[in-house]
Amino acid sequence: MTSPIVRAQGLVKTFGQGRAARRVLDGAALEVAGGELVAVVGRSGSGKSTLLHLLGGLDKAEAGTIELAGERVDGRSERDLARLRARRVGFVFQFFHLVPELSGEENVALAARLPDAAPGALERGYELIERLGLGDAAGRMPHELSGGEQQRVALARALVNDPAVVLADEPTGNLDPEAAAIVLDVLREIAAEGRAVVLVTHEEAATDAATRVLRLRDGVLAT
Amino acid sequence: MRAAFREALVLVRAGGRRSLLAGAGVLLAATMLGTAVTVSWSLATGFDRSVKAADLPDVIARFDRERVGEIDAKLRALPNVEATSYRTEITHVRLSGGTGSTPRGVVQVVGPGRRGYAIVDGRDARGDDDVVVERGVARAWHLSVGDTLSFGRFGTAQVSGIAVSPDNVAFPLATTARVYVAAQNGLRRGTNMALVWTHDPRRVDVTLQQARATSFGVQDLRFITHDGVRVLLDQAAGIVLALLIAFSVVVLGAAGVMLGVAAYADVQRRLSTIGVQRAMGFPRGTIVGAYALRAAIVALPAAIAGLALGAFLAARPTSDLLVTLNELPPGSALLGPLATALIGTVALVAATSAWPALRATARTPVSLLRGAELRGAAPGPRGRGLAGPLRLGARLASARRARYAGTVAVLAACVAIVALLLALASLLVALRDDPGTLGKRYATTAVLPADQLPAVRQIPGVLAASERYQVQGADSYSLGEPVRLIGYPGDHTVFEAPPLAAGRRVAGPDEAEVGLGLADALNLRVGGTLAVQLESGGEVRYRIVGIVRALETEGRVAYVRPDQLLAAHADADPRIAVRARPGADQARIDQGLRDLGATPVAVRGATSSNREILATLASLLRVIALVTGLVCLYALVQGLTVVALERRGTIAVLRAGGAGAPTVTRLLLGVVLVAAVPAGLLGLVVESVALAPLVGNLAAGYADLVPRASIGQALIVAAGLIALCLLAALLVARRALRGSIVEGLRGG
Repeated sequence: MTSPIVRAQGLVKTFGQGRAARRVLDGAALEVAGGELVAVVGRSGSGKSTLLHLLGGLDKAEAGTIELAGERVDGRSERDLARLRARRVGFVFQFFHLVPELSGEENVALAARLPDAAPGALERGYELIERLGLGDAAGRMPHELSGGEQQRVALARALVNDPAVVLADEPTGNLDPEAAAIVLDVLREIAAEGRAVVLVTHEEAATDAATRVLRLRDGVLAT
Repeated sequence: MRAAFREALVLVRAGGRRSLLAGAGVLLAATMLGTAVTVSWSLATGFDRSVKAADLPDVIARFDRERVGEIDAKLRALPNVEATSYRTEITHVRLSGGTGSTPRGVVQVVGPGRRGYAIVDGRDARGDDDVVVERGVARAWHLSVGDTLSFGRFGTAQVSGIAVSPDNVAFPLATTARVYVAAQNGLRRGTNMALVWTHDPRRVDVTLQQARATSFGVQDLRFITHDGVRVLLDQAAGIVLALLIAFSVVVLGAAGVMLGVAAYADVQRRLSTIGVQRAMGFPRGTIVGAYALRAAIVALPAAIAGLALGAFLAARPTSDLLVTLNELPPGSALLGPLATALIGTVALVAATSAWPALRATARTPVSLLRGAELRGAAPGPRGRGLAGPLRLGARLASARRARYAGTVAVLAACVAIVALLLALASLLVALRDDPGTLGKRYATTAVLPADQLPAVRQIPGVLAASERYQVQGADSYSLGEPVRLIGYPGDHTVFEAPPLAAGRRVAGPDEAEVGLGLADALNLRVGGTLAVQLESGGEVRYRIVGIVRALETEGRVAYVRPDQLLAAHADADPRIAVRARPGADQARIDQGLRDLGATPVAVRGATSSNREILATLASLLRVIALVTGLVCLYALVQGLTVVALERRGTIAVLRAGGAGAPTVTRLLLGVVLVAAVPAGLLGLVVESVALAPLVGNLAAGYADLVPRASIGQALIVAAGLIALCLLAALLVARRALRGSIVEGLRGG
């Protein structure tokens, strides 16, 4: 295995306080190399999404370390984390989270307009629209797109800044099998380009597409 | 109905923070409303209320001292007379008491019968040692019931009561301090003042005409009616009050717009919920009723609180203003208009909530669930359309058309009101200081013989000088209508040039230009005749050749040549009006007049320069400005907070994608600016073309008085609006950034 792009060790995260406290991550560790598509599975509420949020710097762990493409995530200021996310991380969400007031194309271009966007991001966005077969749909508003089209727009948006890491949270959870297959194909392709892709899912088809499958149980990851 | 009520309660509870925000909006708009209702109602009804409370006579006649019996016999013989009473007025009495004194005291010895003043504290004067003091004097000198007042050579008396009589403004706005004492043994030494109450006040002119005809032998007879009293009061503050009332009416309208728009926008936010309700099978009536009731439930307590707060804020300065005018505050009579405002507020909010719900329920549930409020796609050339967070914010705000239009409307109303307020403040200053607001082009007058005119014209800096006659009279056919005649031997427009509304300027000794106020009151037209009964008893008649929009004395003026005045009114001593060249040194002109032996008198503006009344006005305007400013800030913060709440998912996605605090702040700034910029422009245009002429017309339809904001004031409003936008964006961004991205993603 080449040197890992994602490296996390000893992650601890607790929700709630006192007797209601629930430790969803209890020393979870993970390494993902470039070109890998790692699927994380587990029961609902097992902490899969929390793990993804910690890896992407959206939330803070109580203990443990995280490195993305050689840069430490833990212990950084919010401003540095924002910069890191803009340059290194692409997120894909189960509910797409497209901006409803913007067309598909504008949603893709949105990430390219951020202050820390990668050079040539906008052009890459247009290439991604064509590559993901969204040429005809890109001009439409999100509520006029199918679920599959919306998720492909979200994928294009996540890839606009050419991130080293793509974190996908149940990306096929709201899609029919056909649309889900297209999205998984795209994720496989982008992993094959040398990115580290971490996919949180509970669907068998998604795990079939993965290079490795990790199971999250009792706060730790296991093969 | 029960289902709608139940559903309404669910909506209120589920609304949480949004219900609170909606309630806060109603509260602020209702505060504006409460202020406007209090100011307009109190001031507009002040005179009539006080006349009623004081039992002010329909006619007050002053004359040289006569025996009561003789005067009473003449008055009793007149038609339409219901009651009379008599007083003896003694002027130039030195009064001192409390913390003040004046040599210009007026003691009115009150005979038996109706009083004509209202006791607001203590009791009426009964014995030799009692004196009733006017409220203005009591306030100025800190006198209370039980204190002692000295009457110079007449001795001292104890203050038994405080009184108000609205036949003049209050001391010290009025230069004389008035007190009342009881006539112990009737007015045996005669009377010089008769108070007449009529059966039908509308026919008072008939009584006056008859009185004129039968007044032979009564010297220096002068009448004053309610209209005359009103004109007298208006000379002190009438135009200011009219402007304030008109402004309050406009504020009232603006508050209504805000209430309606906010309620409309609030329902627009819930279109997807309505879609779900329709999909679940809720009947249209239940949904519409629920939204109307929900709005009413939220609005009722907020409107009560807002109206009460507005009334509270405006009550003190309004009451102070009324006191300076010798008028009474409305007290519990204000509850009626406030209750009407409350019903109107709740009804308006309920109706404007029901309307979008009604329209929404007519659509298919699917269209509502798919973002019915969003503007359709407008694909443009690739790479254009979105240049950064500012424009993204603008898109987020403007995509929801109804709400966007609502925010623009509310902000535009605020901008228009603030601009109007600034323009009004400038106008009030001009009315006080600038004779030009009265159409006067001269700044100084002086009492000098006419043969000194050439010498006055030789003073360096003097452009023109002329004799100016000013005579008071009443319309010969309607003696209750006062008329001021202003006479110049030549072209009066060199010195006074109120705009001509119809006809032409005066060219001969039998012609007159009449003010629009007089023309409206007496139904005068160009070509008609103006007949004026002078105070001297003589009469003058003029052919009306022009109607002018004069502001002076509510337009009850006429410009004439002085020939007839001199013939009929021998004691019409003229003053010399002196017009300076532009940029001339006024001090040098004044010195030149002094060198000729005259005392130059600066020409006043249209209102009093009394410090007390101006301070009261300033505090009233401050209250209105404060409330309006708060509403404006609220509209911005509320609009932004709702966007931030609703778009927290979008903001979270942006933050997840690497957007930092500056990007989120710029995005929110874009949200407010896209509404504030058009609202600012719209508000200024509305102020200029609609509100300013409306206020001017409501306040003084007889004159050209338009409180239009200047370019400088427009820039101040624009700068203030942008500052408020920045403040609102920073406040909301700070709050949005404090929240967790993960929570945002879950909530969005």
